[in-house]
Amino acid sequence: MIVVETSVHSGSILMLGIGNEILTDDGIGPKLIHDLDKNQFPDHIVYQNASLGGLELLEIIKDFDTVFIIDAIRTLKNDPGTVYCYTPDDFKETLHLSNLHDINFLTALELGRRTGMKIPSSITIIAIEIEEDRVFSNSFSPVIQKCYPEILSTVQHMLEKLMPVRTIC
Amino acid sequence: MRTITIDPITRLEGHGKIDIFVNQDGEVENAYFQVPELRGFEKFCEGRPVEELPSIVTKICGVCPGCHHMASGKAVDAVFGVEPTATAKKIRELFYMAHFVHSHIAHFYALAAPDFVVGPTADPAERNILGVIAKVGLEIGTEVIKQRRIAQEIQALIGGHQTHVVMNIPGGVKKGITPEQRDDIVKKAEGFVEFSKFSIQLFKDVVLGNKDYVDLILNGPYSLVLHSMGLVDKNNLVNFYDGKVRVVDTTGNELYKYSGDEYIDYIEERVEPWSYLKFPYLKKIGWKGFIDGQDSSVYQATPLSRLNAADGMATPIAQQEYKFMYETLGGKPVHATLAMHWARLIELIYSAEHCLELALDPDIIGTDLRTPIEKIVGEGVGVVEAQRGTLTHHYWTDDKGMVRKVNLIVGTTNNNAAICMSIKKAAQGLIKKGEEVNEGTLNMIEMAFRAYDPCFSCATHSLPGQMRMILNVRDQEGNILQSTKRG
Repeated sequence: MIVVETSVHSGSILMLGIGNEILTDDGIGPKLIHDLDKNQFPDHIVYQNASLGGLELLEIIKDFDTVFIIDAIRTLKNDPGTVYCYTPDDFKETLHLSNLHDINFLTALELGRRTGMKIPSSITIIAIEIEEDRVFSNSFSPVIQKCYPEILSTVQHMLEKLMPVRTIC
Repeated sequence: MRTITIDPITRLEGHGKIDIFVNQDGEVENAYFQVPELRGFEKFCEGRPVEELPSIVTKICGVCPGCHHMASGKAVDAVFGVEPTATAKKIRELFYMAHFVHSHIAHFYALAAPDFVVGPTADPAERNILGVIAKVGLEIGTEVIKQRRIAQEIQALIGGHQTHVVMNIPGGVKKGITPEQRDDIVKKAEGFVEFSKFSIQLFKDVVLGNKDYVDLILNGPYSLVLHSMGLVDKNNLVNFYDGKVRVVDTTGNELYKYSGDEYIDYIEERVEPWSYLKFPYLKKIGWKGFIDGQDSSVYQATPLSRLNAADGMATPIAQQEYKFMYETLGGKPVHATLAMHWARLIELIYSAEHCLELALDPDIIGTDLRTPIEKIVGEGVGVVEAQRGTLTHHYWTDDKGMVRKVNLIVGTTNNNAAICMSIKKAAQGLIKKGEEVNEGTLNMIEMAFRAYDPCFSCATHSLPGQMRMILNVRDQEGNILQSTKRG
């Protein structure tokens, strides 16, 4: 087996920011998707933003091979601006992956599998600890605003490392 | 006094909880449902052109963006003193029926059916949509996903985007529907009708066919005798998009019927020190407290209350099912909280049938999409029925149409007092002195809450995340005597 160690995709890739752009820090996922230096990634990645979880998310991610989800999280255990990286195996509930009116993310994935949908073989969830998501505003909180360049840089490097490599048998 | 805390651990630690207070005799004395506040929407809107609001409000909440878009569109029409053309109105309503189909399918199969198909006290690992399809068949799960997706496709086609809808402009809609698109929608709507008929049959087989469930609905601790609110057309039939707000009392007699812009004469909002979310009540009766009965001023605005407040449904199959429900449950009005699930399925049928009716209406492919604007009235109210209750948008502008003030009464807020009372009643009926409070009990208390299909994204704040719950029984010193987790 030959492994090509370049940023060449092994299939279709989705980079999905989720969050509400008018709810202070809640919109950090969509903002990061907008600001990422896309020249550092393969050309054919699909970039998309959404604000829903559960079954809605299933409809968006199905049929992709690799999905990166960027969302906000509030664990209250680390400083705002902390960047986490999860897979469904060590899943933590971020702000938008699930929804009270819907089913949770893992249930949605399992439902998709059982009903024969093509579920991504690789799902990575990048979550950013935020400060404020209870106030309508299209600006970040001061603390997130201040560390945003560092968050962007961290997420950029994280994604570059995580980008799948193409395998040629 | 002991405190039992049911804490929905959601995406935000500490967001939303239910406190149940138990006295020394082990009896439930009170229950408080609390959610935190979402602030600043009015300020966010101030100074913006009012015609931007229909697109902005879709971002308040990802669960019912179409409802906010419709209420906002109607309020903006009123601000400009303009009535949409017949075609525009029908296109809006067609979109809205697809929105209802999409939402009601989700609630029934993902949130309601697990309690009945799998069982209210079943293993929580199985009490979800996966457990439902394990019982009723994999093909049903496939069909749920398919029908929801089709409803989303119709919304995206008409609304410009399935979530961030952009169709409504003052006096009409941005674009029309081509004959080819109409033909496609007709086929899809026919599928909705079939699936909605299947869904209500499933309800009849699983729920009505089980004596224990019928007993739980009728005689369990889930009934509240409150007034009912809903939008009705000129024939007093249920309508989601247009008409007058009708309120009937606990015996079914009409109390009020008013136009949306008169809401301020009929609805008052009460503030309680323990809750960020306000408690609307019937203003002319006055606040009487968290009591049910004819003297109460608390009302419900739910699928069941919409059916209670109306004289029937405007489509044939839904009307047939409407009659059957009331005949089965002993006549109108019905006050059994869990019957909201049944009412929601009747509304699903209505939405599907009306979607098809509108798609077949020759006006739907008309090209007269907008009534020209000639003036700025400066104030407007838009009222629609959202899936989870009557939704009111009220805007004030200056003479250039720039927003000065905004007031929203959203679906779930209407039911805030009723939800608190339902939780208390369920807790009183289910938590018994000396008996351990187990996960099944927790779920059955949550069923009282879940029947309302509550959504706090716009009422105060969203509570995404599966409703994981922790129930702690504490002694007077706050020590945990018993702890139960679910989820």
